[in-house]
Amino acid sequence: MKKPEQRDLFPGALEMMILRTLKRQPLHGYALVQHIKRTSNDLLQIEEGSLYPALQRLLKEELVKAEWAVSSTNRRVRTYRLTAAGAKHLHRQVSSFERMLEGITRVLARGAS
Amino acid sequence: MNWFKQLFSRPRLYNDLSEEIQAHLEQKIEELVASGMPRKEAAAVARREFGNLTLVQEDSRAVWQWPTVESFFADIRYAVRSLRRDLRFALIAISALALGIGASTVIFSIIYNGLLNPFPYKDANGISIFQIHDLDQAGVGGRGAFSVQEFLDYREQNHVFEDMVGTSYLRVLYTYREGAMQLTAAKVTSNTFEFLGVMPFLGRWITTEDTRAGAPPVFLMNYKFWKEQFNGDPNVIGATIILNSQPTTLVGIMPPRFQYFGADIWLPLTLSRMSAGNNDPSGQRQYVVAEERRKPGLSLEAAAADLDVISHRLSKVYPKDYPKRFNVWTDTLASDVVGGFKSTLYILLSAVGMLLLIACSNVANLLLTRATTREKEIGIRASLGASRGRLIRQLLVESFVLATAGCVAGCIFAYGGLKWVVAAIPPNNGLPSEASVMLNLPALLFAVAITILTTMLCGLAPAIHAVHGQLQTRLVGSGKGVNANFGHGSLRAGLVIVEVALSLVLLIGAGLMMRSFLVITHVDLGFNPQNVLVAGLSTPKGSYDTPQKIKLLYQQVLQRVAALPGVLAVSESFGVPPYDFAESDVTVPGKSHSEAWRSALELCSEGYFQTLGFHATRGRLLSETDIDSARHVAVINETLARKYFGKEEPIGRTIKFDIFDQLPGGPKNTYFEIVGVVRDFRNMGLKDPPMPQAFIPYTITGFRDRAMLVRTSANPLSMIKSISQEIWAVDHNIALAQTGSLESILYRFSYARPEFGLKTLGAFAGIGLLLVIIGVFSVMAYTVSLQTHEIGIRLALGAQQSSILTMILTKGMRLMAAGVLIGLLASYYLTRFIASQIWGVSTTDPLTFAVVVIVVVAVGLTACLMPARRATRVDPLVALRYE
Repeated sequence: MKKPEQRDLFPGALEMMILRTLKRQPLHGYALVQHIKRTSNDLLQIEEGSLYPALQRLLKEELVKAEWAVSSTNRRVRTYRLTAAGAKHLHRQVSSFERMLEGITRVLARGAS
Repeated sequence: MNWFKQLFSRPRLYNDLSEEIQAHLEQKIEELVASGMPRKEAAAVARREFGNLTLVQEDSRAVWQWPTVESFFADIRYAVRSLRRDLRFALIAISALALGIGASTVIFSIIYNGLLNPFPYKDANGISIFQIHDLDQAGVGGRGAFSVQEFLDYREQNHVFEDMVGTSYLRVLYTYREGAMQLTAAKVTSNTFEFLGVMPFLGRWITTEDTRAGAPPVFLMNYKFWKEQFNGDPNVIGATIILNSQPTTLVGIMPPRFQYFGADIWLPLTLSRMSAGNNDPSGQRQYVVAEERRKPGLSLEAAAADLDVISHRLSKVYPKDYPKRFNVWTDTLASDVVGGFKSTLYILLSAVGMLLLIACSNVANLLLTRATTREKEIGIRASLGASRGRLIRQLLVESFVLATAGCVAGCIFAYGGLKWVVAAIPPNNGLPSEASVMLNLPALLFAVAITILTTMLCGLAPAIHAVHGQLQTRLVGSGKGVNANFGHGSLRAGLVIVEVALSLVLLIGAGLMMRSFLVITHVDLGFNPQNVLVAGLSTPKGSYDTPQKIKLLYQQVLQRVAALPGVLAVSESFGVPPYDFAESDVTVPGKSHSEAWRSALELCSEGYFQTLGFHATRGRLLSETDIDSARHVAVINETLARKYFGKEEPIGRTIKFDIFDQLPGGPKNTYFEIVGVVRDFRNMGLKDPPMPQAFIPYTITGFRDRAMLVRTSANPLSMIKSISQEIWAVDHNIALAQTGSLESILYRFSYARPEFGLKTLGAFAGIGLLLVIIGVFSVMAYTVSLQTHEIGIRLALGAQQSSILTMILTKGMRLMAAGVLIGLLASYYLTRFIASQIWGVSTTDPLTFAVVVIVVVAVGLTACLMPARRATRVDPLVALRYE
């Protein structure tokens, strides 16, 4: 089984970004991916489709909830919302990611000097 | 959400997903269209940016699945579908595997049920035996029967056994109103049934009470005997029947499978040092066979070491019973009972192993062919995002499906095959009679294990081969040119060579067995066994105990039988020729010798020589007067004359048979005058030189157990009824035992085992050859189909059909030659392992090797011929246009 997101991002990165985005406001899939692409200034080469397996994983672990609603454009869409467990998970992930990033940055800075 | 709920909410989850993705795409397209892009282009862009739609859906669904398990099932469904499309391939592969798996399962279940677990006893594998092995004798094992004294000594003095039981084997005369019957009986020590852990089917065991001196006589009955003689009547328990003229009470029936010592009845064995000197009523010393269970954790070797000390101590007490140099040989009961048949079974196990390998290489070859024709499919799957591992897994699943079908078919084949093989196992000379050989759970588990192994063996190499190299480029080319470049040539050739080599080894093994069998069946027995009826005669105790009474009885019996129409000659004898006889040390006056001189001894009447059809070479045969007046005369065989008289003239000399000095009812200190010399017959078996043998008048002893030989003009078995009527007309208390034709007795002892080896190994070798034909044929047919284009060009340029034929045949023959060469080398080294199974022919017999090579090459050539002929019929125009 191939995990396409692993080609570009480290495992869990996409999930983390999804959770962070949903923390701000509930969104449906299309809006979610557009938001991530926009905010990252298209720096991350994300295939739009790769969002969906990640969303399914989050759903399965009950970190997000999904419900069908009608969008502003009068389209039936499935809106994702962060759960309490999701919020907690996000917090843990972000802090561990920040620690990791700090570590990497230090090593890279040392190497550069 | 737990997994169970997930399982049922899946359809909804999947629907949500596709709807959602669809919505995603539509929204994107609308936005793009709104920004001014044509709708068609917008759809393409949306799809491109979305990524691999199928893979995304698959991956998303996989989140909710047990991916490995479910894709495995999907693979199985796919494999079944694709195999059904190529039915001919599937059928050939499945039959090849079925033959391989089935044959292995048959032999495994015989070894498992017949050699490893043959007995219905408690912890049967812990039961062992010990024997006194004479170090001056070749082979293993030795004397396993002990005098009562010895048995008690071993039982009391050993430090290695938890428990030890003893059995004494004897014949018992059972008399009833209508007649008499000789039974096979085993006297067992009182702890035997507890030791074996077998409960009686009805009634009770023999207990310590029953073995006390003066206890009322009781016995247990064999289930089969009970069914046959008493119609399975449960009320028979407590009844009293006459055994050896003594009323004996039946206390129990043993369960159906229980055949301990092959006895019809079991009697209590009383062991006491006081009575140990007493002899069996028949005048023979009572011998006890010991079986024992070792203390936990003790090896057979440790037991042997302890017994060795005791036996050397005992050899001082009973010097006559122990050879000069000896040690103690220990073995498990099963191994001891199966004896020499073990090596036959292990040889067959290696044979079926080879057969399985042939089947596997065959299927591997077929899979390779298939993989080549499926290159494009694999290329497409790879392009669609399947990884190499995933592709290998899918191909392995396909071989697994094949192997499973092969396993099911193989088990059906094994079910029938096992019946055939078990029927062919030599009776009384192969497996323990209690063994119940069937396709039970261990055998089926073995079949499954073999199936998994087979999947790996025949599937892995082709699978790895199939996904090796650049997968995507396969889509670029088309037609056979690409295939030919993508060569599995060397692997395929290698597999065929292995097949040919293995089948050559099998065929040479079978060929040697056949040669040996021919030699054995053509051994000159020294007498004519055709149309001779043999019957054991047993007289009731007490009534015929003097030579005079015996003589009167047999005179009447022989006279009456001889008068029957269809009877050509009749004789009394002590043993059943050729292997059953009395043995005695002999003394020849005027000769001194350091080693013991022994001779076989036959007590017979004057008709003996005519009945078996041999003549005196010197002197005369026993005459009617010799028998009538019980004269002390003897006829000897050539071996006795040569061995003990050398170049001297034996006729007129005397000889003493020392055994008569020890036995009651024999003439003491009597010398017999030698009156004639007869031709040797094979009294030690077909393979060994005969031992000295003497023939003396039966009238000199009062031994109770005798045999009668009748030469008939037609099938001897048809005479049984009239002959027994004549016997019973004289005395209806005489029991007939082991009645049969001399030929069938010879078959059982001498021909059954070699015939079994020949039949089974021959069958396996035949199957191997069949698989090789399929293998060679499929490879050659494939090669030809790859070369159609090339052959077309050659023909178009003017090549002769014969040169095309030669080209293809040369290619095939090159493979055959390599296989034959390797097979010959392997056989040269391997046939020594069947040395124990063949006789009269060298393990590297050039004739067998040559014939087998010719057969294999001829068969291979035939298998090449059809594809080669097809090659010559290639129409150049069609072949060229085909590209």
